[in-house]
Amino acid sequence: METNDCDGEEFGFSRNYFLAKELGGSAKKSTRKLSDIDLVDEQDLRAAVCSIETKHEKEIMALLHSYKSLYSKWVFQLRCGFGLLMYGFGSKKALLEDFASTALTEYTVLVVNGYLQSVNIKQVGLALAEALWDLIKTKRRTPSKSQPKDQLPFNSRSIDDLLAFLDGKHMEEDDCIIYVVIHNIDGPGLRDSETQQYLARIASCSHIRVIASIDHVNAPLLWDMKMVHTQFNWWWHHVPMFASYKIEGMFFPLILAHSGTSQSAKTAALVLQSLTPNAQSVFKVLAEYQLSHPDEEGMVLSNLYTICRERFLVSSQVTLNSHLTEFKDHELVKTRRHSDGQDGLYIPLNKEALEKVLLDIGQ
Amino acid sequence: MAASEIPNTSPPLTPENAEKNLQPFFVLRTGKSDRKSTGKTRTKSDIFQLPSTCKSEKMERKRADEEHDDNKFQRLHMEAFAFVWSKIESAVKDILRKISTRVFDDINGWVQESFNEIRSCGTPVFVDATRFHPIVTETIKKQLFTGLVCTKNIEHVDDILTFEELSLHLKSHGCHVANLSFLDFSAKNGIGGCLRSLLRQFLAVTIDAADISILASWFSEERNNDNPVVIIIDGLERCCGSVLSDFVLMLSEWAIKIPIILIMGVATTLDTPRNILPSNALQKLRLFKFMLESPAERMDAIVEAVFVKQRFFFSVGHKVAIFLRNYFLRQDGTLTAFIRALKIACVEHFSEEPLSYVINALLAEEDGQGLWHVQDASLPKSVLKYAFTLPSYDRTKRFKESVETLAHGLLELKRSQISWSKVTLCLYEAGKYHKISMLDLLCEALDPSSYTSRADGHHKNGFIYQAVCKVRDLPAASLCRLLEKWERLTLDINEIHDKVKELQSLMNFESRKCLNHDLMNISKKNASRRHLNIESDPKPLNERSAELMECMIRDYMLPIECLPFHEIVCFKNVEKLRSALIGDPRRIIQVDLLESYKFLHCSCCRLSNNMIVPSMHDTSIMYTLAQEHGDLINLHDWYQSFKATFQNSARKIHKLRQSPLTKKRKDITDESQSKSEVSLQARFCKAVIELQITGLLRMPTKRRPDYVQRVAFGL
Repeated sequence: METNDCDGEEFGFSRNYFLAKELGGSAKKSTRKLSDIDLVDEQDLRAAVCSIETKHEKEIMALLHSYKSLYSKWVFQLRCGFGLLMYGFGSKKALLEDFASTALTEYTVLVVNGYLQSVNIKQVGLALAEALWDLIKTKRRTPSKSQPKDQLPFNSRSIDDLLAFLDGKHMEEDDCIIYVVIHNIDGPGLRDSETQQYLARIASCSHIRVIASIDHVNAPLLWDMKMVHTQFNWWWHHVPMFASYKIEGMFFPLILAHSGTSQSAKTAALVLQSLTPNAQSVFKVLAEYQLSHPDEEGMVLSNLYTICRERFLVSSQVTLNSHLTEFKDHELVKTRRHSDGQDGLYIPLNKEALEKVLLDIGQ
Repeated sequence: MAASEIPNTSPPLTPENAEKNLQPFFVLRTGKSDRKSTGKTRTKSDIFQLPSTCKSEKMERKRADEEHDDNKFQRLHMEAFAFVWSKIESAVKDILRKISTRVFDDINGWVQESFNEIRSCGTPVFVDATRFHPIVTETIKKQLFTGLVCTKNIEHVDDILTFEELSLHLKSHGCHVANLSFLDFSAKNGIGGCLRSLLRQFLAVTIDAADISILASWFSEERNNDNPVVIIIDGLERCCGSVLSDFVLMLSEWAIKIPIILIMGVATTLDTPRNILPSNALQKLRLFKFMLESPAERMDAIVEAVFVKQRFFFSVGHKVAIFLRNYFLRQDGTLTAFIRALKIACVEHFSEEPLSYVINALLAEEDGQGLWHVQDASLPKSVLKYAFTLPSYDRTKRFKESVETLAHGLLELKRSQISWSKVTLCLYEAGKYHKISMLDLLCEALDPSSYTSRADGHHKNGFIYQAVCKVRDLPAASLCRLLEKWERLTLDINEIHDKVKELQSLMNFESRKCLNHDLMNISKKNASRRHLNIESDPKPLNERSAELMECMIRDYMLPIECLPFHEIVCFKNVEKLRSALIGDPRRIIQVDLLESYKFLHCSCCRLSNNMIVPSMHDTSIMYTLAQEHGDLINLHDWYQSFKATFQNSARKIHKLRQSPLTKKRKDITDESQSKSEVSLQARFCKAVIELQITGLLRMPTKRRPDYVQRVAFGL
């Protein structure tokens, strides 16, 4: 029975994929451009993104509140040696921090913001070792014993030493546990396999428990079985929050902002204004040609040279080439091979943007 | 982007908070200062309190009392879990160690032999007269003794424990042992990585400029050089070939100075070294092979120890057993995962089941006196009342609902479980002749429905039936051995034990009769005839044994789920186990998005009937819209349909404005009508970012600037 279900599921999956592909084929007719949307100014857009009202705020609060009843179970699971892995749509940042600050009141809690690019795992290890050391000192209350015997200070020890310290037998384990909350353990700063290996080794230390959240659907691919079963020892929790990814999404580009005409035209104009008048005029020649021959794949180099020479913009091929190199460096001009084999030069801007640039540098 | 741009909706982002959000990590709280305020600390993050939950002092006190009780119970449950799990865990470790002992002893013998052989030379280890080139003779001198240990596992995770055990075993016999894993043989760290790891393990120092000569001088110290140096490398398949080959070449150069013996773990095929090492490195290895038991054999031993021998009184229901079997056979195939699943079941049971902590008393007490005592002391009325509301109790509801009744019921349960396990073991012994695995047998033995159908005489298939049939067909010698085993197993069940004894004596009598008969006819009949006599005679004995087996199954093998109060010791919630063990974010996150109203329980979207309504979460709307596209989504079209969602419904609702039913939506409609283009575009952007975070979208590329790509198709 179950095998059949499995097959059915797999069949359904591949069927869906091919259906989508097919749909993609027919939808190819839709060649509408992003620039066809009447895009608003980027500044306004950014301001608007920041002031979007959260829908269902009340329900989200209720959802959060409903998870509070599970806190004691989660603590139980942590104390039994499991790591908690929270998944489900929506930012779980608030939930994790609320759990840590209401249910883990007796313990030291370190929060790692995995959604930031700048997380350095060695620094995290160091902070954990220092926190554990503080804890041991407080618990023992015998300052005479407190110095680590002929050991280097933590910040000059290797990460292996730090891990060995975190895994060492210092006290009764139950007494001396540091909880690590990792927001977005699948985040951009932690996504490489080496960092995940270190995280797994940290998680497997006897004095550490991890509470982490994932958002990416493929996050489990980051871990092999050893990491899942023996190191992280995940206990999965489905806790959809539907809260917006305000902080997690802060560093993502806005899709309707970057490719906007105004933006790229503005950048191009800025670059051009810093170049010599002759260089600007060469660009103008190319731009005008592109506007008057919208169907062509690009202007042939010899053609450009002839026109520029006629207008006394360049005196030799070498001068033209140096201008072109400048353009190419700033991504103002690109080359594309024609069907007849010749290289064509073109400006990677659409018609409106190009007109705007010409207007800008004409002023 | 500056932190000041974050709006101040929930959670409130104070400047302090915003700063913390942008720090890679920070200490949220330190444990030492808060010790006294256990349980009652209300912190700044009580932002999630619903506004209506304003509490009076009385309520607060009541809550504190409840919390105190909760803490007490949680502690009791924690202790019970720790007690039971430590027993299960050590039983599992013992079993695994026991299974591997024979191979470990072989390996140790080989290590000592090899060491002696290395020590006995200067001279070549063996002189192969047929070799022509002196270089080869030179190679032989530098050959490393290498034991390939075939673990028969596809997944390397189970070997970790095995090799740790092996390491301990060899250490206990005086060897210097270091364990290296495939991570030490990474191309990035090169040979320095494994050397550093070796020095760490042998010398307990971390040296940046690792050098093998340090190891050589360590070994030349007097206290070290009398014992072999063993390096265990597990997961050979995943090692980087070039680093491993460098390592082997280096060790062979030093082979005379440091008598290193390598042990390599390979998964399924002994060809692995040949596949990953170049021939010059391969020449340096002198290979020996060892085989470990297969995972299935180990699994049977674990199941027998944990579930059937029943020393722990923690049991699982039939459905959970089936799930565990399928999880092992189809999903994962590793013992580690199986044991972890068992631990999850155990934790779930002890944290969910209010009475689970009495297992401790059950385990400790033989006569039940102590059980009563423990319960009297710690059993609040509500919990006792709960015990008598358990569904399994209904059928026997004629006693007084007291602690004594409960204790009596639990002892009955314990007794019944002991007989169940004895009979299951007897059955397993019989099933061994038919290669029936313990795991399969367990699943059937726990099944209440197959028990009832067996009792009605309808059950004519399954593993138990096969095992009984096998008893009927067993040859005399095997039957004799089986009866011996039954005799040992049934010691505590007098009735059965007597019957087994009876059968044994009958068997002895028969064989003696045969023997006498033989002696009398020995001059006339030849040896083959004698053999035939024994074979043909004991048919009725087989029949009687099978009948006894059937009787045992009927009378003593009552599945735990048929017993009153079984909920206290038996974990049955297979869904909880599944969801804790196997997260399926790929499917579930999509479900979250497509059926958001089910989780939010909001009144506005529930009536939508799978249609898109503008009140839905923006990202939900976008993802639902994305379902209508192919693998590529044209951003322009997508935006237009997103926009249309709001405009259409605004128009529709405008038409229906008179209807009292839609009055509620009027506000939403007006609002959405007034939504400016800017806000729509902003919401579109935000939804795209959120989908990008979930990984359900791939962003436009330079080649396709106007399209995003869908990643998941179907649930």
